[in-house]
Amino acid sequence: MSINKLAYYPGCPSDGTAVDQDMSTKAVFEKLGVELVEVEDWNCCGAAEVEDPKVVYALNARNLAIAEKEDLDIVTPCSICYYNLERSNKALKADEALCTKLKGIDSSLDYGGKIKTKHVLDVFVNDIGMDEISSKLEKKVNVKVAPYYGCYIGRPPETAFDDPDNPVLMDKLIELIGGEIVPNFNYMKTVCCGGPLMMTRGDIAFDMARKILDVAKNAGADCISLACPLCGMMLDGKQADIEKALGITIGMPVVYITQLLGLALGIEPNKLGLNKNAVDTKEILGKVV
Amino acid sequence: MPIKTWELDPNFKNEIMGEAGGERLASCFQCSTCTLGCPITEIVPSYNPRKIIQMSLLGMRKEVLSNPDLWVCLICQTCTARCPQDVRIADVLSAIRRIAEREEEAGNLKIDSPRPLFDKAFQHQLEKYGRLYDIGLAKEYYPKKEGSFIKGMKAMMKDYKDFGMRMFKKGKMGPKAMLAPKVKGRAVIKKIFKEMGEE
Amino acid sequence: MGIAVIGGGVAGITAALDLADSGYKVHLIEKNAELGGKMEELAECQMGLSPYIAKVENHPNINLMLSSELERLSGTAGDFKLSVSGNEVGVESVVLAPGYDIPEVAKSYGYGSPDVVVSLDFEGMLKAATVSETGELVRPSDGKRVKKLGFIKCVGSRCQENEICSTACCAYTAKEAWEVKERFPDIEIYIFYMDIRVFGKDEELVAELKDKYGVKYIRSRVPEVIPEEGALTVKFENLEKGTIEKLDLDMVVLAVGLLPSKTLSKLAEITGVKTDKYGYIETSLTSPLETSVPGILACGTATAPMKVRESVAQASGAALKAAGLSQRTEPIPGQEEHKYIEVGDELKTGVFICGCEGEIANSIDIPAVVERVSELKDVVYVNSETNTLQEAMDAIESGIVDQGLTRIVFAGQSPRECEDIVRDACAGAGLNPYLLEMVNLREQCAWVQGPKDATEAAVDMLKMAVERAKYLEEIPVERYPVIPKALVIGGGISGMNAALGIADAGYEVHLVDKGAELGGGLRESTELPGPGGEQAADVLKELVDKVTANERINVYTKVKEEKVVGRAGSFKAKIVAEGSAEDVEIEFGACVIATGARRDFVPEGYFGYGKEKNVTTVSEFVKMLAGKLDANTIALIQDVPGEGVTARYSSIEVVDSALKAKEKNPDANVFVLYQDIKTYGKWEVLYKDAREKGVIFLRYDKEKPPKYEDGIVSVYDVIFNDEIQIKPDLVVLSTPAMPAEANERLSEMFRIPLKNGFFMEKPERPKMVLTPVDTVNEGVFICGSAVYPAMIDECLAMSSAAASRACVLLAKDFLETPAMTSVVDEEICVGCGVCEAICPVEAIELTEEPVPVVTFGVTTVVGRTKKVAKVGDGCIGCGSCASYCPSSAMSLKYFRDKQVYAQLDYAV
Ligand SMILES: Cc1cc2nc3c(=O)[nH]c(=O)nc-3n(C[C@H](O)[C@H](O)[C@H](O)COP(=O)(O)OP(=O)(O)OC[C@H]3O[C@@H](n4cnc5c(N)ncnc54)[C@H](O)[C@@H]3O)c2cc1C
Ligand code: SF4
Ligand code: SF4
Ligand code: SF4
Ligand code: SF4
Repeated sequence: MSINKLAYYPGCPSDGTAVDQDMSTKAVFEKLGVELVEVEDWNCCGAAEVEDPKVVYALNARNLAIAEKEDLDIVTPCSICYYNLERSNKALKADEALCTKLKGIDSSLDYGGKIKTKHVLDVFVNDIGMDEISSKLEKKVNVKVAPYYGCYIGRPPETAFDDPDNPVLMDKLIELIGGEIVPNFNYMKTVCCGGPLMMTRGDIAFDMARKILDVAKNAGADCISLACPLCGMMLDGKQADIEKALGITIGMPVVYITQLLGLALGIEPNKLGLNKNAVDTKEILGKVV
Repeated sequence: MPIKTWELDPNFKNEIMGEAGGERLASCFQCSTCTLGCPITEIVPSYNPRKIIQMSLLGMRKEVLSNPDLWVCLICQTCTARCPQDVRIADVLSAIRRIAEREEEAGNLKIDSPRPLFDKAFQHQLEKYGRLYDIGLAKEYYPKKEGSFIKGMKAMMKDYKDFGMRMFKKGKMGPKAMLAPKVKGRAVIKKIFKEMGEE
Repeated sequence: MGIAVIGGGVAGITAALDLADSGYKVHLIEKNAELGGKMEELAECQMGLSPYIAKVENHPNINLMLSSELERLSGTAGDFKLSVSGNEVGVESVVLAPGYDIPEVAKSYGYGSPDVVVSLDFEGMLKAATVSETGELVRPSDGKRVKKLGFIKCVGSRCQENEICSTACCAYTAKEAWEVKERFPDIEIYIFYMDIRVFGKDEELVAELKDKYGVKYIRSRVPEVIPEEGALTVKFENLEKGTIEKLDLDMVVLAVGLLPSKTLSKLAEITGVKTDKYGYIETSLTSPLETSVPGILACGTATAPMKVRESVAQASGAALKAAGLSQRTEPIPGQEEHKYIEVGDELKTGVFICGCEGEIANSIDIPAVVERVSELKDVVYVNSETNTLQEAMDAIESGIVDQGLTRIVFAGQSPRECEDIVRDACAGAGLNPYLLEMVNLREQCAWVQGPKDATEAAVDMLKMAVERAKYLEEIPVERYPVIPKALVIGGGISGMNAALGIADAGYEVHLVDKGAELGGGLRESTELPGPGGEQAADVLKELVDKVTANERINVYTKVKEEKVVGRAGSFKAKIVAEGSAEDVEIEFGACVIATGARRDFVPEGYFGYGKEKNVTTVSEFVKMLAGKLDANTIALIQDVPGEGVTARYSSIEVVDSALKAKEKNPDANVFVLYQDIKTYGKWEVLYKDAREKGVIFLRYDKEKPPKYEDGIVSVYDVIFNDEIQIKPDLVVLSTPAMPAEANERLSEMFRIPLKNGFFMEKPERPKMVLTPVDTVNEGVFICGSAVYPAMIDECLAMSSAAASRACVLLAKDFLETPAMTSVVDEEICVGCGVCEAICPVEAIELTEEPVPVVTFGVTTVVGRTKKVAKVGDGCIGCGSCASYCPSSAMSLKYFRDKQVYAQLDYAV
């Protein structure tokens, strides 16, 4: 293993709807012996709502500059944050004029382009490595999982770190910890969860999320695994609302990959926030041996 | 009604290509890849990004900017990832939306979607706090969307009562989330919006 | 020394054979253990190539280096040192033909479902494997019969990873669909496409697929195939209805593109040749075969994606160029006078049954056949041990030498594909090559009959053959000297290039043109399309200067060819100068026809052409672009109907001129109205450039062509699904290209059939063309736009190829008379009389013959009669009737006694 310390960018939902993801991420890294240093006084990455790329680059320049001072690469558990951080990092590294302009706006935006930005999934599989993780496993997580990746892991191409149509990093981790990937879910892995339209076209968002839940259920999954808090909000947080609005029952547990991994590493379920998932996760806990 | 090209705005494509993200519009060869992979089309049958591109290329400025379908894109990037001509449709649509917002602000256009309101409200939260403040966002967005504070609060309750309780019970909407975050570097964020933003 | 050819695909094989046949030493280097390249994987081709492979393997002038790779290259043109898998080879020139590889496909195509296959694998499926026992096309996943089959085109082409168009896939998809429909008519076929980029014959095939076979062509680039509940779901846009539809298919074929061979970058590094930005060997529009390193030539799919036909043309062309840099050191095979064994009346028949790599043994019980054939009278030897053509030939040779056989019956694949080789084997062992009888066990027996009938049928066919062999006579072979001169007809870019090629190889050339000046159609052009920006005039000037300076080339302008007599190697022609009563007689051994195409179709009446001043043609527009352009709105209309064919350069020219107009006047509104944009290969980037510069493309349907009325062009854009109107200052029409006027006359004189007025190449069994410049009239070659209106690079490659083929012939001191005559299959003949009219020596007569009727197994002749053709003794074996016969009833046979043949056949 080549890394032992990373800057941690938690993202806005870490305080609220995704505390479970935040807790499990921190716990897993600790167990894996990687120290996370939270980016001090980090600001929002702009999410999907700031549409002007120039503003996004500026917002992220500040976070990047803070981590750069510590000389640490940034890792984030949120796919959208990752996308914004990574594309800003790319743009800033390539565009000197932009950097100069930002420096002119405020000295805290003075980023030298020296660090890397990563998604936790990428760090687990490609930096820490399967062998290292494998050596630390304590339990077998004997569940059937529908691994759901969402949008920003495999696309757009310039920031992607996995296959755009059939990503596999999460699959690899699940198989490593003794889980099973359900068949017939592959084509759903990267179909958007609807999250970005939740507030403005809730009807569309519900429909999209429902499809993913349906396919996972039909495929015989015990749970869906995730790597993004927005997906978590849609598929887990809103699941009961979807059931109510569409008059259906789903009851599909949805967990973060960090939670599953944490279980395999022998971490206390509550330390992983597994009591905080909206859809009950007890059944899953029963399958950890 | 046939489309009379001499009544259109042939410069529209250049206008879009001048926006960040809109640069690659003209590479499109109308292959349908974007439309066929787009998850929205299954739910909103009129939605067709390919067609929006073609209309833009032809110069149908008015029709494009006032098209409500502009606002249902998820920015999921499926189209961008698959487009054989690297048109970056998600970014192009975003560029078009920004033009539409400016036109609305200038009073030339009425956008038939609450999305600009939401995006604006979101950005205001960032300007104010440096991070997303869910409650502040909802408090700004709903009244604007519904036209009045009372109606807005009612709509918000309808959407969020169950969800809020659920989150609360699970300890996700704890006191910490109730309070607005305060990033120390807020002033910088304000400056960013002022200097880099379009308004 | 000699020449190294790297890559043993169809291109490498062709180059090697052309060179070896003309007396050059060739080192053929192939990295695989077998020759054939990708063509060996194609359903239609495999057997088409095997005779060529067998020829390479047997060629005394070819040093075949299999499982070998180039490791080092040093030296310069005329003196290269190669290190090939540890062996040192010295050569004067090198031909690179490392071919192509196919791309990886996106996971979204099926997410791993085995029922989504790439076309190359599908070719294999078609060939055999998954066509099950019952003869069905079945799905790989569950063995269920395929009922609905989809093809997705442009997979891995015209995209970010591979910007250019792969040229071959539109055509091969049509071919595959046709093959499926022919064999499994019930299978529904859907083809998803963006543009249908086919020309000529392939255009007809596509029309036939749509109209006759009900194949659905749907315009959508399908990005995803979802496997759900036993079906494959695809979505496509129903443009007419403006909806997105779903379709469930049983199997999907991905028409993958062609990429440069994976080995190419390393090969380029070793040899120092430059590659272009797409990874292909860099060549140019005006020197399509030359690499950046003098002495190293390139051909085939290593230079650009292309079909077999173009690969082969480039290969022959490259061979010629390589030969020009080398010394001929080897004897030319087949020149020694054969001394044949006197066989007299002795009948010792040897029967050779070749397993054809399992294809025959699969459906025929060979031991049973051997047992029964051995019992036949006169059969003294039966061999069924061989499995390849090569083994079979060795067996025949030792059979003749060791067993003293006097008749050979060879049973295996179609004689069309291997007859020459088997005859050569007989001759090589000293047996008169006409004492051979061929049986087509593969196509006529193994492939058509069920297993049980097949064995019976094989025995019957062999019995007949043994019987017929009795009547074979030794045919004395006549030798005559070859006149080492060539006639080239047409002084355009192709004709001049061919003339130079032949002259540089050391032969005298007569170059004739009807015009007053050399240069042909290209004299009408200005700047050539593409980024090179070359001027047509400069290119022409260089060629004309070279031709005029060349002492071996005699140029005759303003002349007409009047009469031709003779045969390959020894022709005589009369040419008459315009306004002169005297004619000149020219003797030559080979002829190249390069009459080009005409561009002077006047679209009188179309879109007001002729009446409206602002309506012009592309050729005129191109000239306007050289000056000032003051039109603000321009509508270019592609595929304006009229006489002629759509040239291969038609779209390229339209897109190029639209782009140039836009570059000249960036504010101009430039519209291109098209049916299919056919910017094949690397020209695709021109199309992209044009879009990026702001040219607007509108697609119309043939059924709803655009109109120009009252100053307004109206077009129904089928993609936009609405009518779009333009008020143009200038309307530019792209019109069809027409055949040269002389073609009709030359076609009669040389007995070469025309298609739509253009010359036809020699028809061949596999649908891919392996001899694109050869004609039915041996010794006469065709090239350039006289065959099909083509781009300059293709014309240059093809004319070099024609020159190469001509030189192969001229290199020989002697030729042997082919003892061939035409034979009619009376059962198939419909008595149309086409042959009677075409025969130059009036050897055919139509006669009334009784129609035999078979009732309860007894053949009786009732009153009914029908007209059939009878070939008389005058036949000179020119093959014209065979190539013109619409029912394929005529064929050339090595027979003297046709009566015997016919009688015996009747008895079957
Ligand atoms: C599915 C499919 C169907 C097709 N169908 C048709 C059709 O119906 N009609 C048609 O006209 N065309 C068709 N084509 C195109 C056709 O296959 C090509 O035009 C043709 O095979 C090209 O021949 P080539 O000799 O250039 O290349 P290849 O066939 O690729 O041969 C190259 C050879 O070079 C060897 N080689 C590579 N690198 C080295 C090296 N470094 N050293 C030594 N040897 C090397 C390779 O092993 C190979 O044997 C089809 C293509 C595909 C993919
Ligand atoms: S995928 Fe790209 S090229 Fe195709 S229609 Fe959409 S934008 Fe145009
Ligand atoms: S980014 Fe928008 S247009 Fe593109 S696929 Fe996603 S929803 Fe559709
Ligand atoms: S358009 Fe070009 S790349 Fe696409 S299928 Fe046809 S030949 Fe192949
Ligand atoms: S092959 Fe014989 S019969 Fe046929 S056209 Fe030629 S000369 Fe006549």
